Amino acid sequence: MSVEPSADPSSPPVDGADTKPWTGPEDLGSFDAPEALGVPGSFPYTRGPHRTMYRERLWTMRQFAGFGSADDTNARFKYLLEHGQTGLSTAFDLPTLMGRDSDDPLSLGEVGRCGVAIASLADMRRLFDGIDLGAVSTSMTINAPAAILLAFYIAVGQEQGVPTEKLRGTLQNDILKEFHAQNEYVFPPEPSVKLVIDTIEYCTQHLPQWNTVSISGYHIREAGATAAEELAFTLADGMAYTEKSIERGLDVDAFAPRLSFFFDVHNDFLEEIAKLRASRRIWSHTMRDRFKAKSERSLLLRMHCQTAGVSLTEQQPMNNVVRVAYQAMAAVLGGTQSLHTNSMDETLALPTETAAKLALRTQQVLAHESNVTQTVDPLGGSFFMEKMTNEIEAKAYAIIDQIDAMGGVLKAIDRGFFRRRIAESAHAEQKRIDAKDKIIVGVNEFIEDGPPGIDTLKISQDTEDEQVRRLKELKQSRDAKRHEQALDRLKSDAREGVNLMPALIDAAEADATVGEMMATMKTVFGSYDGGPEW
Amino acid sequence: MTTNPPRVLLAKIGLDGHDRGVKVLARSFRDAGIEVIYTGLWQTCEATMFAALQEDADVVGVSLLSAAHMTVMPEILRIRKACGIEDLPVVLGGIVPESDYAALEEMGIAAVFNPGSPLDKIMTAMQELASRPRSNMDEAQIREGFAKRDARILAKVITAIQRETLPEGWKPPGGNATVIGVTGAPGVGKSSFIGKLGRMLCDRGKRVAVVAIDPSSPITGGALLGDRLRMMLGSPDADFFIRSLSSGGATGGLAPHCGDVVDTMKGFGFDFILVETVGAGQADVSVAKLADHTLLLLMPDSGDSVQFSKAGIMEIAGGFVLNKCDLSGADACQAQLVSAVGDSRPIWRVSAVRDEGIDAVVDWALSL
Repeated sequence: MSVEPSADPSSPPVDGADTKPWTGPEDLGSFDAPEALGVPGSFPYTRGPHRTMYRERLWTMRQFAGFGSADDTNARFKYLLEHGQTGLSTAFDLPTLMGRDSDDPLSLGEVGRCGVAIASLADMRRLFDGIDLGAVSTSMTINAPAAILLAFYIAVGQEQGVPTEKLRGTLQNDILKEFHAQNEYVFPPEPSVKLVIDTIEYCTQHLPQWNTVSISGYHIREAGATAAEELAFTLADGMAYTEKSIERGLDVDAFAPRLSFFFDVHNDFLEEIAKLRASRRIWSHTMRDRFKAKSERSLLLRMHCQTAGVSLTEQQPMNNVVRVAYQAMAAVLGGTQSLHTNSMDETLALPTETAAKLALRTQQVLAHESNVTQTVDPLGGSFFMEKMTNEIEAKAYAIIDQIDAMGGVLKAIDRGFFRRRIAESAHAEQKRIDAKDKIIVGVNEFIEDGPPGIDTLKISQDTEDEQVRRLKELKQSRDAKRHEQALDRLKSDAREGVNLMPALIDAAEADATVGEMMATMKTVFGSYDGGPEW
Repeated sequence: MTTNPPRVLLAKIGLDGHDRGVKVLARSFRDAGIEVIYTGLWQTCEATMFAALQEDADVVGVSLLSAAHMTVMPEILRIRKACGIEDLPVVLGGIVPESDYAALEEMGIAAVFNPGSPLDKIMTAMQELASRPRSNMDEAQIREGFAKRDARILAKVITAIQRETLPEGWKPPGGNATVIGVTGAPGVGKSSFIGKLGRMLCDRGKRVAVVAIDPSSPITGGALLGDRLRMMLGSPDADFFIRSLSSGGATGGLAPHCGDVVDTMKGFGFDFILVETVGAGQADVSVAKLADHTLLLLMPDSGDSVQFSKAGIMEIAGGFVLNKCDLSGADACQAQLVSAVGDSRPIWRVSAVRDEGIDAVVDWALSL
């Protein structure tokens, strides 16, 4: 119920605003190609972060998955490793994502459903049983309890005798976008960000090969933001982490190379490509000019992309295969480093094996048959593409200025800025679809009656009972005194404001659960009720 | 405003945070002239149905994108029955396979909508469900309900006051409640503070009612009533009654008939009635006429203390609550406030999100 002014320089809609049938050199004004584009792999990286891009190395096809118990996922991991995959990508179940144990009342019906349930070090040990953490790279999609999961991972590594310097992987660890969009926050914004900076500091000192934060626009876009808003909010979040890390006393060039980004790729083919190109240009300028980064690795924005889950339709679900293919091509023409393609049935249920395989095949056809990999940034220099890149860049800068004027991301969260903007954009989009200003095939045009006509996946409930039983056993068998001392230390460290990673690792080794550690920190940090809603 | 907008309660149950759909709907409903009560994320089935009962909702909409509908919806209907509000239609929106539609209908779900359902179809169905005929209470029923402290009857009486359909001649019995008004600019955290204050008064054995007022659209009469979602944390409590009202175009920070609603709550036997104003700022002075005591909420860095010192609000306040003291700038704001107040009226430093400092306000309230 705040009085945020809704008039701003880039009110939606941002798309389809062009009235001229074509674009020519006159539309680019004083466009200076060497300055605006550079060459691939050099400042300002508009054309790509690397010189040769896909000619030398294809993007990583990183399909995100996870299910059931730690043992189920462990078996899946081993299967993937045996078939030549070197990177593991872990999806956690909702209770774990929310920092709650499997036996929490709100976890009912959710344990092991949309990812693997990890409540303790014992679960993590089983998840990576027989897998050498010194030889794989592990991506963990988790946010509010990210520091705890990292502590588990470090502890398993120590048990295996792997020094922390050798641990490789990525933590999503982007709590800011949870406040804007995905809603998997627990603590209020300020202590939440403090915890992220703890992980950045700890990794900078002890896990030099670890990607500390995957700064995500994906969820912001899925929740309804426009492309320009996704771009601006995400980069503003990146700037906030950078600023706070510098305030902590870290050298920008020591941590910035380990920040990476994660964007959504939606239906508007050309706009999405422009967005990805603009992201690199804005970030390189910001890192150089605002944060005085000197190392080239700090300036170049590396990204992961995922096709837009929200663009998939329940009606005529086979059409989704086509949408995903176009979106995937936009990601590649925009120069992504890795890509997840959604399965056609994801608006109905978790994907079936057939649908998931088809999604991967879509990438393989793109990589090996379409020949779009033959040259770097093939659309670079197109009048329209450069104009659009300039425009979305300008819109993003205007929004970033607006956030800065409010006093930064945290202040803007406190005023409900992000949530309100996203909800308004989502509402505007729905109205356009309802008014047929925007056509969605099979939804508001070319409609067919009848059921979707594809098979969907059914998930069993067995995991939950088993997981709850294991947790009960753990709580009875662990060293109660050691457990209590570790949680006491966590609490006093939280009070004193020191880096919590050592205390979390200690608590992990004392068999404290995710829920217990979160509850302990909550007594100091408080919990967040969502901020201004409308 | 003489129209009677339907009241729709929208809820998300469980840990799933996908709220794009429910928020788009909330806005569309508001634009269509509906009063929308949104209860926020992470609700239990029980808390949702308690809220529906207290708000006397015309329809309840549950949003589920976690595929837990076949576990959650039977539980919702079980609680609906246990609460004695079986005539309340419940609809479901979310990712629901068509193969589950028949089973859901069979168990008593009034309608199911999926991500592709067009807005106008949803809207028509909701309007139809909301405009179903509702039984009128006679005086004897109300009297009996009050004697038995039946929250359903209280909820329906409040609706009848708003819709001006109360039986002629019924007057609430007298009561001894202390009425505390809470005002302050938007964003200072009035709802969270009231939620915590109310809950703590309950913990000290008091019966507490809250009237939370949000603005309504002057054009459509619709409203987004979102205060309640900050008060929902914790388990539902029969002695903690929350009712959301829309301002219905009234100025002064209150709602039409607000005085009658408060009198009715008094007659129901509450010990404390907490009234949250719209938060329009300086115009929010009418709460002082209604309340025995008025608290002004402020937050660090807002510059409001200066702004307020020029307005009547400073004079009507019986006490000042400096909320969000976990944020920087609290000391400076307090100093500013002390000099602006200039007398012995209490000033409390609290942090509603961290549960800090509210004890002192509770002690003050209990001493009144």
